[in-house]
Amino acid sequence: MVLADLGSRLRGALSSVESASDDEINSMVKDVCTALLESDVNIKLVVRLRDNIKAKIKTELSPEETTANKRKKLQKIIFDELVALVDSHEEPPKPKKLSTSTKVINGKKKKVAKTNSHVIMFVGLQGAGKTTSCTKLAVYYKKRGFKVGLVCADTFRAGAFDQLKQNAIKASIPYYGSYLEQDPVKIAYEGVTKFKSEKFDIIIVDTSGRHRQEQQLFDEMVQIGEMVQPTQTIMVMDGSIGQAAESQAKAFKESANFGSIILTKMDGHAKGGGAISAVAATKTPIVFIGTGEHVGDLEIFKPTTFISKLLGIGDIQSLIEH
Amino acid sequence: FFSKITSYLGGSINIEDVSKKFYDQLISKNIAPEMAKNIIEKIKSKLGNQNVTLATYKQALTEELTKILTPNVSTDLLYDIKRNAANPRPYVISVVGVNGVGKSTNLAKLAYWFLQNNLNVLICACDTFRSGAVEQLKVHVNNLKNLNNQSSNNNTKIDIFEKGYGSGDHVVTTAKMAIQYAANEKFDIVLIDTAGRTHSNTKLMAPLKKFGDAANPDKIIMVGEALVGTDSVEQAINFNNAFGNKRNLDFFIISKVDTVGDLVGTMINMVMATKVPILFVGTGQTYTDIKRLSVKRVVDMLMN
Ligand SMILES: Nc1nc2c(ncn2[C@@H]2O[C@H](COP(=O)(O)OP(=O)(O)OP(=O)(O)O)[C@@H](O)[C@H]2O)c(=O)[nH]1
Ligand SMILES: Nc1nc2c(ncn2[C@@H]2O[C@H](COP(=O)(O)OP(=O)(O)OP(=O)(O)O)[C@@H](O)[C@H]2O)c(=O)[nH]1
Ligand SMILES: [Mg+2]
Ligand SMILES: [Mg+2]
Repeated sequence: MVLADLGSRLRGALSSVESASDDEINSMVKDVCTALLESDVNIKLVVRLRDNIKAKIKTELSPEETTANKRKKLQKIIFDELVALVDSHEEPPKPKKLSTSTKVINGKKKKVAKTNSHVIMFVGLQGAGKTTSCTKLAVYYKKRGFKVGLVCADTFRAGAFDQLKQNAIKASIPYYGSYLEQDPVKIAYEGVTKFKSEKFDIIIVDTSGRHRQEQQLFDEMVQIGEMVQPTQTIMVMDGSIGQAAESQAKAFKESANFGSIILTKMDGHAKGGGAISAVAATKTPIVFIGTGEHVGDLEIFKPTTFISKLLGIGDIQSLIEH
Repeated sequence: FFSKITSYLGGSINIEDVSKKFYDQLISKNIAPEMAKNIIEKIKSKLGNQNVTLATYKQALTEELTKILTPNVSTDLLYDIKRNAANPRPYVISVVGVNGVGKSTNLAKLAYWFLQNNLNVLICACDTFRSGAVEQLKVHVNNLKNLNNQSSNNNTKIDIFEKGYGSGDHVVTTAKMAIQYAANEKFDIVLIDTAGRTHSNTKLMAPLKKFGDAANPDKIIMVGEALVGTDSVEQAINFNNAFGNKRNLDFFIISKVDTVGDLVGTMINMVMATKVPILFVGTGQTYTDIKRLSVKRVVDMLMN
């Protein structure tokens, strides 16, 4: 019962629109909403989306049009509304290499040595996939020529450092961590300082899982943030998360002010409706999706591509003129 | 005049309107739409066309939710284990589930609980895939050893059995060796951890059957997490079907209940989909954060 089904349902519904009567259109909209609910999209968002769709139908569809035209318009309206659901209209930061960044000096572009490394801090709920995604992202940037280091600032989860270390070694990524030090704030600071002094382009800091119900854990996250001053904070979210997504995401946004989301475990049947609700609630873009347990299982997220894919209509872009 | 009085006393309601309202409420509590629909349909057909008040509707729904969550088999695991004491083969329990839900952590909590109940526990590391999985269990076993030494009744023992990482038959061989070792060393229980896997990936699910056949656990416990939404239905069904047609899951542990507030609908989803009862709920990240299910509290959360 996933968004992928929505695609076939939607097409089914659209093709069942013959006379494009109000009844037909209403039942189609209802189908779309049910399918979204079954994909964990927050119920309030679904209600809003339904109202938007209905309003657009009212203004954009005229009774004189041919059925084919109406269908086309209906499809576009629904596609656009779905994209709007996952599109935060925010651009995530693009890391630059220390050696090749350009600056405008006296009106002229000049190559200068960038002095500050791009520090990425990972936050999220327990078991969401932070540690795994850290290495995936490190490998992603390494392949693109960046010098990347990993810092394990999780001193809580049993075996956390071993996990990061084994991943890092397999992927030949330099790492920093400690078996003895208990204070994650200290390790984070030491690791970032070390990699900065060694002129790393990107430093990725992994942290423990936490949840909004435990203030102490959130305080710790804020302290780590203050210590390492991340240029980018990424919240990692499990794609199968349900109705709790919104409140957790909001709480993380307030405390950690994350600027990007990585949606994990999208290789299952869950279609990320809960996380989509989190995007809408926090106006934060999804930048990558995790599609497996292996280090290469990371894909760039694009709202239009994502929705087209979920709808099972890969070539929707060509179907409708934007 | 009459209608005024009845409404004042909680008069009859429009059953369709109220059903819609409760359907939405169940969904907002993280119950999957298909399950919510089943439940509401049941209430509607039960109440029929009688004159229904809001109070009777609520009562019927409360009863239905209670019925769903109340196990119809014994969940007295300790009793079952003690009955096995004379058996030369140790009592074997395995945890299974999707990635990151809390299998290893709740396995360690179970181990702690068994130690408190004077049972000797051997933890077997059969997640031979995920980085750090073996070391994670080693840390837990060390912690539990220390706790055990500090406590007054330290006549119980805990240890780990591991053969490192590997694929193919490595899991099955490790499990078999652990059970043999536990029998020789007089451990009462073998707790087998397994790798997390995507429930819809048949290539990853197929080895579970082989594992189940070889280790033949007395109890297979699926750990499911309270955070998961509608996917929990399919997760429960697929894991329940993973062990062939002669074997089902025995229990659920629903983890991370402390992270969802009163959005506890996952429990309904998983139990309704499979009729498998909930043994424990996980309520945090320390060894004592494992609690018996209070059906009444869960139903209260869903109703309010
Ligand atoms: N199938 C699948 N599994 C994933 C994906 N990303 C992570 N995992 C698995 O999810 C589980 C948890 O991942 P971790 O990286 O340990 O999660 P975490 O957020 O670091 O966990 P904590 O540090 O305990 O909070 C592991 O078994 C990973 O292999 C993904 O995209 N797909
Ligand atoms: N808040 C909370 N966190 C929990 C609970 N149970 C487990 N966790 C956390 O969830 C994360 C993942 O737990 P693990 O036990 O490693 O999960 P797993 O299912 O063994 O993961 P894989 O082996 O990678 O599939 C850890 O950070 C645990 O501390 C719980 O009941 N409440
Ligand atoms: Mg981690
Ligand atoms: Mg595990």
